[in-house]
Amino acid sequence: MTATTNSGANAKSLHRSASMKAEQRFTDTVLYIVLIAMAIVWLVPFIIIVLTSVRSMGDLISNGVFAWPKEIVLSNFDRAWNIGNFSTYFRNSLILIVFKVPLGIVIASLAAFPLAKMQFRFSNIIFVFFLIGLAIPIHVTLTPLLVMMKQLGIQGTLAALIPPYVVFGLPFQIFVMRGFFRTVPSELLEAARIDGATEWGNFWRILMPLSAPALATLFIIDALATWNELLIALVLISSNDSRTVPVGLLQFQGQFSSQYTQLMAGVLISITPIILLYIFLQRYMVAGLTAGALKE
Amino acid sequence: MSTITKTSPNHRATHRRRRLHLTPYLFLAPALIWYLVFLVYPMYQSLTISFMSWDGLSANIRFIGLDNYRRIFFEDDTARLALWNNILWTLGTLLIPTTIGLMLAVALDRKLRGRTALRAIFYGPAVLPLVAVGMIWAWMYNPQFGFINYVLKAIGLGFLARGWLSVYETALPATFLTAVWGGVGFPMVLYLAALQAIPQEQYEAAKMDGANGRQLFWKITMPWLREANVIVFSLAVINSFKTFDLIYTMTYGGPGRATQVLGTWMYFHAFQYYNAGYGAAIAWVIAIITLVMAIPYIQRMSRD
Repeated sequence: MTATTNSGANAKSLHRSASMKAEQRFTDTVLYIVLIAMAIVWLVPFIIIVLTSVRSMGDLISNGVFAWPKEIVLSNFDRAWNIGNFSTYFRNSLILIVFKVPLGIVIASLAAFPLAKMQFRFSNIIFVFFLIGLAIPIHVTLTPLLVMMKQLGIQGTLAALIPPYVVFGLPFQIFVMRGFFRTVPSELLEAARIDGATEWGNFWRILMPLSAPALATLFIIDALATWNELLIALVLISSNDSRTVPVGLLQFQGQFSSQYTQLMAGVLISITPIILLYIFLQRYMVAGLTAGALKE
Repeated sequence: MSTITKTSPNHRATHRRRRLHLTPYLFLAPALIWYLVFLVYPMYQSLTISFMSWDGLSANIRFIGLDNYRRIFFEDDTARLALWNNILWTLGTLLIPTTIGLMLAVALDRKLRGRTALRAIFYGPAVLPLVAVGMIWAWMYNPQFGFINYVLKAIGLGFLARGWLSVYETALPATFLTAVWGGVGFPMVLYLAALQAIPQEQYEAAKMDGANGRQLFWKITMPWLREANVIVFSLAVINSFKTFDLIYTMTYGGPGRATQVLGTWMYFHAFQYYNAGYGAAIAWVIAIITLVMAIPYIQRMSRD
């Protein structure tokens, strides 16, 4: 510490730092207790889902939700997966992620390239034009989208979700990719240009490979958003065969409203992939979300 | 940036320059077209629809000017209640998850053991689908078997037990509390990122001058968080006015219409009551509010 360089105040500051240390230890302990208590409160809902879904309805009613299950019952999951149609909902959400996420990210990256690395007249205006999309509520596009999808003959199918999902991902993705591309030295692109590379070649051979971390983060965040989205799917999807996980969950809730054990088994099934993803890729997810909001 | 080469008499260079003028737009084209076709055009259409009386299906469509908007603010009590609920929700979001998120960030910025796990726990609910979050908490609030009433009875406060989501007074606060559970994570990580950017020397220098903890927080930490605050507050407002999933899952706007917000009320009109025109008008009220509230946010994001 720099305090020791000042010899006159040395003894005094040493004394003060000792008492400060004790005080520090005390506040740390109090803080710790508060944090642990809060963490427990935050974890309770997760514990409740597990405790509810692994028991029979009779056990739940007679012993209460917080009691340890008399017998671990896994049939709730089996029934949710099969009777509750979760296998279909999972398949649909996965198909959507596979088609929608890469498509959206490529379109966004293509647009981010000139916004980050080229100078042209309307650069800023176009960038702001895209950013405004961050504040546009989905609600304001729903009825026209429904009409449009009917006209295209894809209303009610998964394909109908791809255009609006891509569009509502674009503003954030363009923002993040533009920010990332700007960190790539322009000299790299310039050198390649002198060697005869085209802008198209530069984009695919230099910018995209160098952006792998940003692309991975965006992929995860977008997959998550796709998995979680409710409102658009609720409006555009009508048949049971095309339902995504959130719409399927609602359907399930309507169908088994008082079968709490089965209901929570369905919820647990629907969030397990996300929780696994979160445990292993937490760093990317959090980094991406903050990257979208704070710069550098 | 040197994409545009300086003027050169060389014919090839002029040719190259002209091509470069077009190049940015070629790269932008897919995104721009997609954006115009699937966002801007539907927005324009719904603005048109908002001036119409239309069921959303038939060819029977009639221009009624600003009638739908007048109805929202002067005739429809539920629409005004929904707007009020959105305002309450916004104020609550600005105050509660934001403050908790900031306190957690300050606490977890210290070198505590297990802070990574703690951060993961508090951020965890934010990654779940809101439908699942709503279902989990609807179960927690269940009048007969729910955990909340179970605990209240266990600690001798059984007289407080009630059907939290089916009582007028508690339905909205109970739903909001669910949003708090899922909503502290985002401000927390944002504030954490901002805190890590504060140069430690500033704290050390201030400590040398005898500043206490509170002074350090208000004189150094808070000014450094100004940027993060703009983002957290803006997003809190924008997202509060977009609220839909939790209400739809947990209360369906009920009991009665007590927990209707603009998002759900718009949905009910446009897709259940066959009032597409009125629904579009409500949607535009939401859009105008969020767009205006987003101005500082977009300014911040577009700044270099």
